[in-house]
Amino acid sequence: MSEDETDVMIGLETHVQLDTETKLFCGCPNEEADEPNTHVCEVCLGHPGSKPRLNRKVLEYAVKTSQALQCSVNEEVFFSRKTYFYPDLSKDYQITQYEVPVGEDGKVEIKIGDERKDIGITRLHIEEDPAKTVHKGGDISNSKYTKVDYNRSGTPLLEIVTDPDFTSPKQARAYLQQLAQMLEYLEIYFPESSFSLKSDANISIDGGQRVEVKNITGTAGIQKALSYEISRQKQLKKRGREISQQTRSYNQNQEITEKLREKETEEDYGYIFDPDLTTQKLDQEFRQKMKSQIPELPHEKIKRFKTEYGLKDKLIEALVSVPEMADDFEELSESHDANLVASWMTGEIKKTLNYNEITYSESNITNRFLDDLFQLIENEKLSDRNAEQVLRDQVDGSHVIDYAEKANAEASTLEASAEERNLLKSEEDEISEFVKEAIDENPDAVDDYNSGDEEAVNFLVGQVMSISQGKADPKSAREMIMEELE
Amino acid sequence: MSVREVVEGDQKVDQEEFLEELKEKNEELNFMREINVGEDNSGELNNVPFVAKDAICTENVTTSAGSKILKNYTPVFDATVIEKLKSAGAKFYGKSNMDEFGFGSFSITCSFDTPKNPHDSERVVGGSSGGAGAIVAAMDKPLISLGESTGGSITNPAAYNGVIGITPTYGRVSRYGLVDYANSLDKIGVLAKTVYGSAKGLEVIAGEDENDQTTSSREVPQYADNLEETSGKLAVPKQYLELDGVEEGVMENFQESIDELEEAGFEVEEVDMPLLSADVALPSYYIMAVSEASTNLAKMSGMRYGLEFDPEDYEDFNEYFSEVRSEGFGEEVKRRILLGTYTRQAGYRDQYYIKAAKVRTKIINQYKETFEEFDAVISPSMPNIAPKIEDAENMDPTEIYAIDTLTVGPNLAGMPMISVPNGKSKGMPTGLHIVGDHFDEQKILDIAYSFTGGGE
Repeated sequence: MSEDETDVMIGLETHVQLDTETKLFCGCPNEEADEPNTHVCEVCLGHPGSKPRLNRKVLEYAVKTSQALQCSVNEEVFFSRKTYFYPDLSKDYQITQYEVPVGEDGKVEIKIGDERKDIGITRLHIEEDPAKTVHKGGDISNSKYTKVDYNRSGTPLLEIVTDPDFTSPKQARAYLQQLAQMLEYLEIYFPESSFSLKSDANISIDGGQRVEVKNITGTAGIQKALSYEISRQKQLKKRGREISQQTRSYNQNQEITEKLREKETEEDYGYIFDPDLTTQKLDQEFRQKMKSQIPELPHEKIKRFKTEYGLKDKLIEALVSVPEMADDFEELSESHDANLVASWMTGEIKKTLNYNEITYSESNITNRFLDDLFQLIENEKLSDRNAEQVLRDQVDGSHVIDYAEKANAEASTLEASAEERNLLKSEEDEISEFVKEAIDENPDAVDDYNSGDEEAVNFLVGQVMSISQGKADPKSAREMIMEELE
Repeated sequence: MSVREVVEGDQKVDQEEFLEELKEKNEELNFMREINVGEDNSGELNNVPFVAKDAICTENVTTSAGSKILKNYTPVFDATVIEKLKSAGAKFYGKSNMDEFGFGSFSITCSFDTPKNPHDSERVVGGSSGGAGAIVAAMDKPLISLGESTGGSITNPAAYNGVIGITPTYGRVSRYGLVDYANSLDKIGVLAKTVYGSAKGLEVIAGEDENDQTTSSREVPQYADNLEETSGKLAVPKQYLELDGVEEGVMENFQESIDELEEAGFEVEEVDMPLLSADVALPSYYIMAVSEASTNLAKMSGMRYGLEFDPEDYEDFNEYFSEVRSEGFGEEVKRRILLGTYTRQAGYRDQYYIKAAKVRTKIINQYKETFEEFDAVISPSMPNIAPKIEDAENMDPTEIYAIDTLTVGPNLAGMPMISVPNGKSKGMPTGLHIVGDHFDEQKILDIAYSFTGGGE
């Protein structure tokens, strides 16, 4: 049975760790520490008498993200206690939002190949991350004991809950990728940081019982976890076995889902308002201010690039996936051919960055460098091959043009440097291009030569002389033609 | 010697003498959880001694909140009120005994022996700030005693011990460092011998605190300096007069107080405040209180502090947590955790917890309406005199909860209130309760000041 024949329903709850200076409810640094349990205080350890105080920055992030996901933002929000006993929970309750989240009823359009689909956003709320548990000598099922590191306790999270709108693991993956990209544009999430996107998924097939799979990290993991779980459920069904309502955990190493517990009833967390935190007003003024800070989002940028630059979809999507690159592209396109800039950026530049395992913004590539590079290419001073060489040298650091240092130097710093390295086109290079052109444009003569008609070479030499307007030396032109034809 | 004489007259408390008397009286009455003498401090309060209810965190000094589960717990920080008193020049003398986590009206649920009433050692000191009230009555010395009220825990021991007890508006005093009972109801206040002493203490501890987001940014008046005799209109809720179980002696003293107030120029009028009746305010209060309390106490699980066993002896964390909690908590605590878990459980939450929250809003509105016409609402502080310890121990929980009927209304509404001694019945003190509008502390202090005839 193929995936399409099964009725699959998937909903995601995604936790976005926020890269704020301090934790959600105390002044501890919100970052990893060398030693466990060092970025802690009485608040994030839940000591008696301590009280939470809200980091307002998190409200800003939550409102912006809600707006970007087209949610309606509630005017007044408050926090609740979700009570359950677990060693990673310093107060044995988690401060979260229950009745009234920051955002509700949004949607996001995802693109999977050529297909487009709207995914409903049920809600977006703020909550605190529990501590990290480290299972010594194994995983949760077989380790002898568990240690708890509260450095993570109180890290701010946004939980984004979707409607059960996904019908395939691919869609879920596309959603997470596009969500991550949107968050990157909002400067809330940085893929290279240690902050993660973690999802719990609810999956049911053919209207059967809902299975929750917890603890799926990243965007690649989601497709594997969901595919595994769907095939597990299908197998059960095929064998006439019941799919019971349960909570499972994704085991990343083995790429399987494992049963945590049966879910006979909904868990009861006995929610109450957190009386230590006051109601937060998200008034018109605040919401307007947040809205004005939202930059052009990826889907908007893609649309605009299409009409403004008329590039291919693939090129645009690749450009937009790196916000800084998209910005540089726009600037460079003012003085260079947009197609040239886009194909270099999404082709050779991306390849070189990947090879060196470095991101665009971390690399030595600057707008100024690219401006010079494209100019040399356009003026035909640099062949594609040598341009690639210049680019590689710049990225891997073997020959870097540091514009900051040479702020007052001549405009053609890159040209001078390329010249030094013997990378600029010489006359010989030029003639070799004429030779190529003559060969490419006269396939008949090439055929004749290949079938033994040596006279055909003379014809090609004549063509080179004519293209070069007499500049070429007939003898070397003949040698180069022969070489090319062999 | 009084607090006023130490603060304004620059008299010095003989600290050695104080400590000696403290030890001696405590030996007899057990109102202290721990005597722990702090450093001399400089400031306006001129080393006036102060003690704190054991639910208020003190850095490096054991803070047990009356519970075995926190028997040897020493906080890593001082509560805001402790810091404030120290920097105003008060001298710390230790922690006073209380009902376990504040759950009680007589301090008989204290895990560290029951304190005894200075007026009659067979009788209770009240609760839950029982030790805080008894020490003021027992010590013949100037003293600021910090208490905490959730549903009446300052008024109650103030009345039973015949001292002044002021409970401020919710949010007037920082709760940072208070071991929580019910966060939306908890208020730290002051017990003292004189109105001046309570006003001075409150003035020092009140104010906005960035560590407690529920504190108000309103300016704190100079309550003590501002004290003056006043007059005005006082309301007596009809529902309190009709209440079953108010002792005759208590009612007689209250009637006499009304007469005195009228003589002093106050107008006293009976009003109808239906939501203060025993079947509305009391259950709403208890539902809110136990719902919050049951979440607050979840953290006491033997993981990070307090009572601990060897985890190796248990199958999993659930079994371990259960064992620590079963051993560490007393019976009344377990009762309230069970009640509170039930009242916020899905399926019951709407008809208990959510409904109680709505009733609270209505009670606030009813007070607000009354305060449009009246300056304060008065009543007896407690329906009875301090019962004998033996009798108290034999009461069933609902009887004990009913003791709070006169105090839960204003506590639920977050109104400021003060209890002032107004005579004796069978040799035991009784109290007059004066409740004001939000942030009207000065007004009720002035009324109390007038009632006690000004001065010291």
